[in-house]
Amino acid sequence: MQAGIGTGHDLLLQQKKKNLNKKRLDTWLLLLPTLGIFIFFFLLPLFFLFITSFKNFDASTGVGNEWTLQNYIKFMTDPFYLGVVWRTVKIALLTTLITIIISYPVAFQISRSKGRARNYLTLLVLSPLLISMVIRCYGWVILLSNNGVVNNTLLKLGFIDQPLTLLYTELSVVIGMVHVLFPYMVLSIMGSLEKIDPSVIRASQNLGASSFRTFFSILLPLTLPGVFAGSVMVFSLSVSSFVTPAILGGPQVKVMSYLTYEQVAVMLNWPYGGAIGFLLILIATITIIAYSKILARSEKGVAIQ
Amino acid sequence: MSRKLPKYFFNFVCLLVYIFLLAPIVVVLLSSLTTTEYIVFPPEGLTLRWYTELIEHPEFMQSFTLSTIVAFGTAIISTAIGTLASLAVVRRQFKGKTAIVQLVGSPLLIPSVVFGVALLQFYSWIGLAASPLALILGHIILTVPFVMRLVVASLVGFDRSIEQAALNLGAGPMKVFFQITLPIIKSGVIAGAIFAFITSFDDLTVALFIVSTDVVTLPVRIYTYMQYQYDPIITSVSSIMILFTIVLMLVIERVLGVGKVFSSKN
Repeated sequence: MQAGIGTGHDLLLQQKKKNLNKKRLDTWLLLLPTLGIFIFFFLLPLFFLFITSFKNFDASTGVGNEWTLQNYIKFMTDPFYLGVVWRTVKIALLTTLITIIISYPVAFQISRSKGRARNYLTLLVLSPLLISMVIRCYGWVILLSNNGVVNNTLLKLGFIDQPLTLLYTELSVVIGMVHVLFPYMVLSIMGSLEKIDPSVIRASQNLGASSFRTFFSILLPLTLPGVFAGSVMVFSLSVSSFVTPAILGGPQVKVMSYLTYEQVAVMLNWPYGGAIGFLLILIATITIIAYSKILARSEKGVAIQ
Repeated sequence: MSRKLPKYFFNFVCLLVYIFLLAPIVVVLLSSLTTTEYIVFPPEGLTLRWYTELIEHPEFMQSFTLSTIVAFGTAIISTAIGTLASLAVVRRQFKGKTAIVQLVGSPLLIPSVVFGVALLQFYSWIGLAASPLALILGHIILTVPFVMRLVVASLVGFDRSIEQAALNLGAGPMKVFFQITLPIIKSGVIAGAIFAFITSFDDLTVALFIVSTDVVTLPVRIYTYMQYQYDPIITSVSSIMILFTIVLMLVIERVLGVGKVFSSKN
């Protein structure tokens, strides 16, 4: 009798274990396709490129056989390349700042509107995301070129005598970048605006605060997490973006992503291109970690999104 | 009156931002109608000549077809595998879950240029030539993070007792998935597929490294063409793409509602 219960119990346990094993197998089956593709076509290629970045450059094969740190040293000691790093960061910072300033009013307007108007405004703001980046940048080429719309208008109005050089400058890259990344910031700020209880704003107004005061002491502090989150996204996307600087800056305004492309596609110097690429990843990652540290410290208790 | 003034100013600022957003798109659309041999805005005269001239440039049509095939392939595969992975991530407990979530999310942090270079090197080592498949594999990596974000968002807060009920009533796991789970998370899955399609269709950075002379996606075609030529052909191609996107968006708006698609984003 005793033994019988024992076996029954064992059977039950075995059954449970079997179920658990089956579940575990299921889990891995669900993950397998994604994981497989990511290991083979994402991790492995990046790992090989990382190894390549420690090889010397060989004019005939591209990648030499010797191990070296020269690629990294060359980049970090040459003032020209350091200038490119500074330009990349500067463009990203400017882009982030301008995006915050112009996104805020729009996010506010959308979060206050209702029904159809809201749908159409959302669509309008998100439309840049949906239309090809190459085409949008091309539109800016038409607008900013020497005989483009902006210059022609300024000439006609008599503000300038000669066309300004707008295209292939840091300014044109920043303009294009703001245009491309604007929706990310709006979505992020809208997310935190919508979490604010409208009665808080009414209370502030009833207590006699001006709309100015209400904005700076109520709305702005409450939406800071959204602004921070949006900034991280915009900054990191802008540091690593390639299309906009390639079309609106070209070889005249070299940023790190363009340098990576140029080294590999034009100079065929794979090791050096790889090294620049990994330094770019490093910069993007450091920013994100730094930002999230700041975020955690300044916004304790306020959940982001 | 003085209280109204800031409001007018505020609306005016918003209007300026909207103009800024639409300006490059409107400029491309309108300058495709010019009669001149070069791009000019506002267009001089009106003609559809640059659209008919596209017939003499079949390479644009080829690239359009290729891009569409690649984007469809990417959207379907990426959505399918991303949805399965999301199910595992949301519903199962297993070792290394955080690591896997981070791995699958990391393409958002890795600059596409670096990924493109790495992929080109890898492809040339394993001998995979430029092909729709080679492009799709690269684009899957770029789009799975979006798909998983959207699908995970729609799976969180899912009431699993409905599935349990179906199982208890004798439905098989497959039937439960297709008849219960999938319809409920539909909006997240569709939004993921749309994002994947658009991202793939729009990608220049990764494709630039993978394409060859006869396998060229539309963004790469446009990019290389405009490096050497400044005629309105590009504006007519671009306008067709813009109209294509607008029609696509209107269809989505009709079927799903834009608000719905994007509200699940965060």
